[in-house]
Amino acid sequence: MDSLSAETSSPIPDGSLESKRLRKLEIAGILAGFSAGAWLGAAEAPTKLVNLGISPVMVSLLMVGGVFLARWSVPALVRGTTQMWTDVRQAPHLILWGVLAGCLWAVANTLTILAIRNIGLSIAFPLWNLNSLLGILWGWLLFHELRGSGRIQWLSVVGGAAVMFCGATLLAMASSAQTGSATATRGILAALAAGALWGTMYIPYRKAYLTGMNPLSFVAFFTIGELGMMLVLALLEAGGAVALWRQLAQAKDVLFWLMLGGFVWVIGDIFQQYAAKYLGISRGIPLSNTNQLWGLLWGLFVFGELHGMAAGHYARVIGGSLLMAIGAGAIALASVTRAEHAHWRVAAEREALRYGIAEEFLNSGLTESKPGSAVGISSRSWLDWVLVAIASGIFVYLAAVARTPQIRFDWPALILLSLALLASLLATALVLFRTTRFQ
Amino acid sequence: MNARANGSRMKNMARAILTDIHFWIPAIVLSGGLWVLYWIR
Repeated sequence: MDSLSAETSSPIPDGSLESKRLRKLEIAGILAGFSAGAWLGAAEAPTKLVNLGISPVMVSLLMVGGVFLARWSVPALVRGTTQMWTDVRQAPHLILWGVLAGCLWAVANTLTILAIRNIGLSIAFPLWNLNSLLGILWGWLLFHELRGSGRIQWLSVVGGAAVMFCGATLLAMASSAQTGSATATRGILAALAAGALWGTMYIPYRKAYLTGMNPLSFVAFFTIGELGMMLVLALLEAGGAVALWRQLAQAKDVLFWLMLGGFVWVIGDIFQQYAAKYLGISRGIPLSNTNQLWGLLWGLFVFGELHGMAAGHYARVIGGSLLMAIGAGAIALASVTRAEHAHWRVAAEREALRYGIAEEFLNSGLTESKPGSAVGISSRSWLDWVLVAIASGIFVYLAAVARTPQIRFDWPALILLSLALLASLLATALVLFRTTRFQ
Repeated sequence: MNARANGSRMKNMARAILTDIHFWIPAIVLSGGLWVLYWIR
């Protein structure tokens, strides 16, 4: 596993893995990871505007509805759906992994709601946040990540994830309402299961990107699994289609805010997919787990949560935030060596051999998607514009019938955080476009 | 000929998926998650 043997046993001819190109992809991945954290953290903000009188499963279903609409429109707008069909022709087996990942997400999300209800956020969050450590394990074990890396890279990634875990624990303790209950065992089990589901969800992610699939194609299939599984869970809870429809009709005036949360979440998730693609899951996932920090910023400054809290709470917030930042910084600086890239390549070629994927497709997705190459060119058809029009129409209709939020919030903080979000979106999208043409 | 080739391709793909540990790990974890969800509720 040392770097020398990895270099010499690499099937890549010398010079094909240009250091400059790899470094550019890595920077794009790091930016995508941090932006994913910002957008995933902001996704809960619209849901806070709703004075919820509906069940947690229904909240989850409606957010997933927004996710579904956004995922079938944003990719259509950015690259067109033609690329998706090309990906399907080249690697049809990845449809299954996309759907499977969506099912894992839906069950995990529902479990987190139950975990918070039973043991409170402070205990539940750190438990399911173990998903990034599980992601590192799967990345190393199944996809050769971190192999051929030096001790510094190992220490930075594993140590950084552990420091972030401690920071997350402090933040969760600070932001928790401490709602303990007698059903603690069930809550702990739910949180651990959610962590296992989310940590394992990154196996399909990595599998798709090792073999050259475009993240925008993968998320399209992901949403089918996600919405399908969430619909089944909601139908079971409501007790049938008629009862579910009645609940949806009753929640008509809050649908927009919940779906907006799903829309914001999608942008974060798309960035997370790019981070997983260009950094691997062992680095990309911990970086996007900075979402907790952003969620706290929204809660603290926009919605005035934790207002008037004790000094100990402030210490936990500041300490936890610093630990999260230090951990994320350590992971961002743990650059992927050429030796490790050679190991990624071996894992990718194993996939290509098993599923009969063409070498050209493999290369186009992995490292050689240079701007201007054929694979990087997007094309939109009438179908893409129809999809965008339908999704926009639904959002406009729901916005028209939505109830104005009855919650007080801080306008300057809202504008500042929104501008920060937009800046991260523009900067990351620009870098991704210039480096990869969103490949 | 084309139909036979497609059938053969599908069979090969199904075999590749069913003998892939990358499929079974998420599938088993998903089943476990559903069981936990059922048990808790």
